[in-house]
Amino acid sequence: MLYDIFIGPFVQMVEMPDFFLQVLWEGFVAGILYALIALGFVLIFKASGVFNFAQGIMVVFAGLTLVGFYESGVPALLALLLTIGVMGALAYGIERFVMRPLVNQPDIILLMATIGLTYFLIGLGEFVFGGEPKRMIAEELGLPTGSTAIEMGERGLVILQHIDIAAAVIAILMVTALGIFFNKTRIGRALRAVADDHQAALSVGISLNQIWAIVWFAAGLVALATGIMWGARSDVSFALEIVAFKALPVLILGGFTSIPGAIIGGLIIGFGEKIGEIYWGGLVGGGIESWLAYIIALIFLLFRPQGLFGERIIERV
Amino acid sequence: MNAIVSNLAQPVGQPKTAERDLLLRVDNVSLSFGGVKAITNISFDIQKGEIRAIIGPNGAGKTSMLNVINGFYHPQEGTITWRGEVRRKMKPYEAASQGIARTFQNVALFKGMTTLDNIMSGRSLKMHRNFLWQMAWFGPARQEEIEHRRKVEDIIDFLEIQAIRKTPVGKLPYGLQKRVELGRALAMEPELLLLDEPMAGMNLEEKEDMSRFIVDVNQEFGTTIALIEHDMGVVMDLSDRVVVLDYGKKIADGPPEEVQASQAVIDAYLGVSH
Repeated sequence: MLYDIFIGPFVQMVEMPDFFLQVLWEGFVAGILYALIALGFVLIFKASGVFNFAQGIMVVFAGLTLVGFYESGVPALLALLLTIGVMGALAYGIERFVMRPLVNQPDIILLMATIGLTYFLIGLGEFVFGGEPKRMIAEELGLPTGSTAIEMGERGLVILQHIDIAAAVIAILMVTALGIFFNKTRIGRALRAVADDHQAALSVGISLNQIWAIVWFAAGLVALATGIMWGARSDVSFALEIVAFKALPVLILGGFTSIPGAIIGGLIIGFGEKIGEIYWGGLVGGGIESWLAYIIALIFLLFRPQGLFGERIIERV
Repeated sequence: MNAIVSNLAQPVGQPKTAERDLLLRVDNVSLSFGGVKAITNISFDIQKGEIRAIIGPNGAGKTSMLNVINGFYHPQEGTITWRGEVRRKMKPYEAASQGIARTFQNVALFKGMTTLDNIMSGRSLKMHRNFLWQMAWFGPARQEEIEHRRKVEDIIDFLEIQAIRKTPVGKLPYGLQKRVELGRALAMEPELLLLDEPMAGMNLEEKEDMSRFIVDVNQEFGTTIALIEHDMGVVMDLSDRVVVLDYGKKIADGPPEEVQASQAVIDAYLGVSH
């Protein structure tokens, strides 16, 4: 038993390095995708101190809108642009009709509002696009398909799906751009100010409306990218919304307010899940992938409740 | 009671106020929340360069008055004239861009940010480079950030808070937080500075420091100040003119000595059956 826990898995890793690399790659890709979802949550949390319950459904909604436009005969790239427009309009709408009337309300009220928004978007999505899963138009958007096999000498093969590589590249680009935007600019400071104290932010001349619209739009774009990438791997369906909550352990790990934290947290969860499932899962009958992330997050909470990179807010009482 | 209200546009015995212009005038302003009247028919003015105190017992409507001035609340009746123009209904950030800065009764700082970032956030309105420059983070945007940083460092020196420049403000003791909040308001280079109980919860020494800063801001930068304060000693020492509110109504207005002697004010503070 002890052998199976502490020695066996590592022997396996060394004996079959190609397989181990494959597992690592799978973990990496899963991690990147979790990171993308978590990024959407982080943006909203940074700007309003609220866990945006609706981020998952925004992913689905963005994906469905994109496919919907395409199916109604719009060329793929134009459909993409139109979807970006829709996400912009959605951001404006959310700011105008959900956030603006709730300025200065406690966070819990805003959380409830995002739950309400979730059900609104589910309803709207089903009404407009129907409830069936749709195929993501990854190919039509110019995303690569197929796969590359890398030979590992005599040891074997590692297979890399091209779509996964694309996902990784896009995620890295988005993260870098958002990171610079929010950490190095006045808008970034304004954003943190808004998250901390609405009234004070208003009093120094920060426009809440503008900041919120920007942030929800950014979260919408992230949702769209996530929708395309997740959609390309499975289908675009309302089930994706549930997957989005995998972001929760990622956020606990990385810290709710940190963009790099979302990435690192995503990767830790991604690697942890895959490696845990493959090498240790057998000990408890497999299927640990679905809950291991939460266990990792729980352990983390014990030692670093603010996450790896989260802001450490000390309140004097 | 109205007989005792002394409404002096140019208070006697204060020749320096005589040639001052009007910065802000509040005319017959009433504000209510549902059935609760917070402010009833109040008029007063603030002249350029003066320190104007607003005093009154708890719940008199002082903070509501400040909230009306900086656009958090919109009065149902009455007008506000700012620099000679009647102001339309405006949002707080519009008031801010017109040169009205404020601090809060319960310190409202950005707790996760450092002292420096808090004060920098006061420069938000002064930064003009657009998004793209900002994203690029070089060239004019960078130059601009450096200039603003210099201004902020001056304020930090002025308020003698160099040592806590990089400390997250949530960690600071209350007195220092109040000082940082003043710094953030000063960073806006306001024309009118509204201070809501700047000395609440401070010990004597801290109060003396704060008083000195307020006087310096007023005299060195020529900033007009309207402050709410409960410490009568401070109010009488600092202010040029005092307006007294009670139950949302104005009961006295004038120089400190005069207000102090007013029977209505004494009644309001000592309590007389209404």
